[in-house]
Amino acid sequence: MTFEEIHNEYWPKVYRQCMGYMNDPDVAKDIAQETFIKVWQQLPKFREESSIGTWIFRIAVNSCLRQIRKDKKMPKSEFPREIFEETEFNSEPQVQFLYKCISQLPEIERIIISLELEELKQREIAKIVGLSETNVRVRIHRIKEKLTKKFQQYER
Amino acid sequence: MKDNIDFKQYWNKQKIETPALDELIKKANQFKTKTRFKLIVANFVLLATCMIISFVWFYYQPTFLSTKIGILLCIIAMIVYLAFHNTLRPFLFGNQLELDAKAQLKQLLILKEKQRFQQTTLLNGYFILLSLGLGLYMYEYVVRMTLPWAIFTYGIVLFWIAINAFYFRPKTIKKQQAQLDKLIAQLKDLNEQLAV
Repeated sequence: MTFEEIHNEYWPKVYRQCMGYMNDPDVAKDIAQETFIKVWQQLPKFREESSIGTWIFRIAVNSCLRQIRKDKKMPKSEFPREIFEETEFNSEPQVQFLYKCISQLPEIERIIISLELEELKQREIAKIVGLSETNVRVRIHRIKEKLTKKFQQYER
Repeated sequence: MKDNIDFKQYWNKQKIETPALDELIKKANQFKTKTRFKLIVANFVLLATCMIISFVWFYYQPTFLSTKIGILLCIIAMIVYLAFHNTLRPFLFGNQLELDAKAQLKQLLILKEKQRFQQTTLLNGYFILLSLGLGLYMYEYVVRMTLPWAIFTYGIVLFWIAINAFYFRPKTIKKQQAQLDKLIAQLKDLNEQLAV
């Protein structure tokens, strides 16, 4: 697979994962870009021990986790709320609401649910995050319950 | 009220801007040059200083033992600092990408603890060795001066060292330390999330 093919196929997936983590289109684009720069640099060394998808998501997750360094210097809450309310990116309110809910979860849960929604196998998610498969399954179930509750309240 | 909400359907509706590939490759190249440049500068500056100091030894042939000890102390200080600094390299730029999140966090914690050590204990040692070295090194040349000049020269050097030791260094350390402590606390929190 050439870098161009990888870029075309995985950019949307990685971008969504970063959006789930940050819920901010500009920051998500930056992290996705950072991820692909690393992919570009490391691609010649890729050993095909795991699938290319798992490898790329691992890099994306690690880029997100490292992000706190910059992010927490200026926590979102320090900005007036309107700034974020105004940057409407999706016209569909449910889509916005889902990403908002996910970004409010604890960091590890954000990562797990994003990977699950990207249809990665639970075995792969477990490998990426470093938890057992059972643990991942339980967590996904709990996160979905949380999200469902929020959606039910939202739709009321 | 729906119990079975299809989150995937909403998830995939996120609008996506895919940037042009050349834009990305341009950025990647810039990033690579910048990282390499930073590394080279850090190593080059200290190594060049060591070489200049060694050159003084061979060219001017100091006769006092204190001068030679002084030179050695300065060089040791710089080499120890540099050697430690370079051990951080694999943590910063190494092939850490294939680790899972848990292992990645562990690595980051190790890196931060190492940086903390570098900024406190190691920097203190570096400072003491360098000041001591400089003081000893100057002695041979200062004894040839008249007393007022000798006092003036040592005075200026001591003043400069004192400014660095008691003003700039604590200020920098305090700032970096606060950031590091904050980051370590965040990382530990993430680790706890994984442990639950």
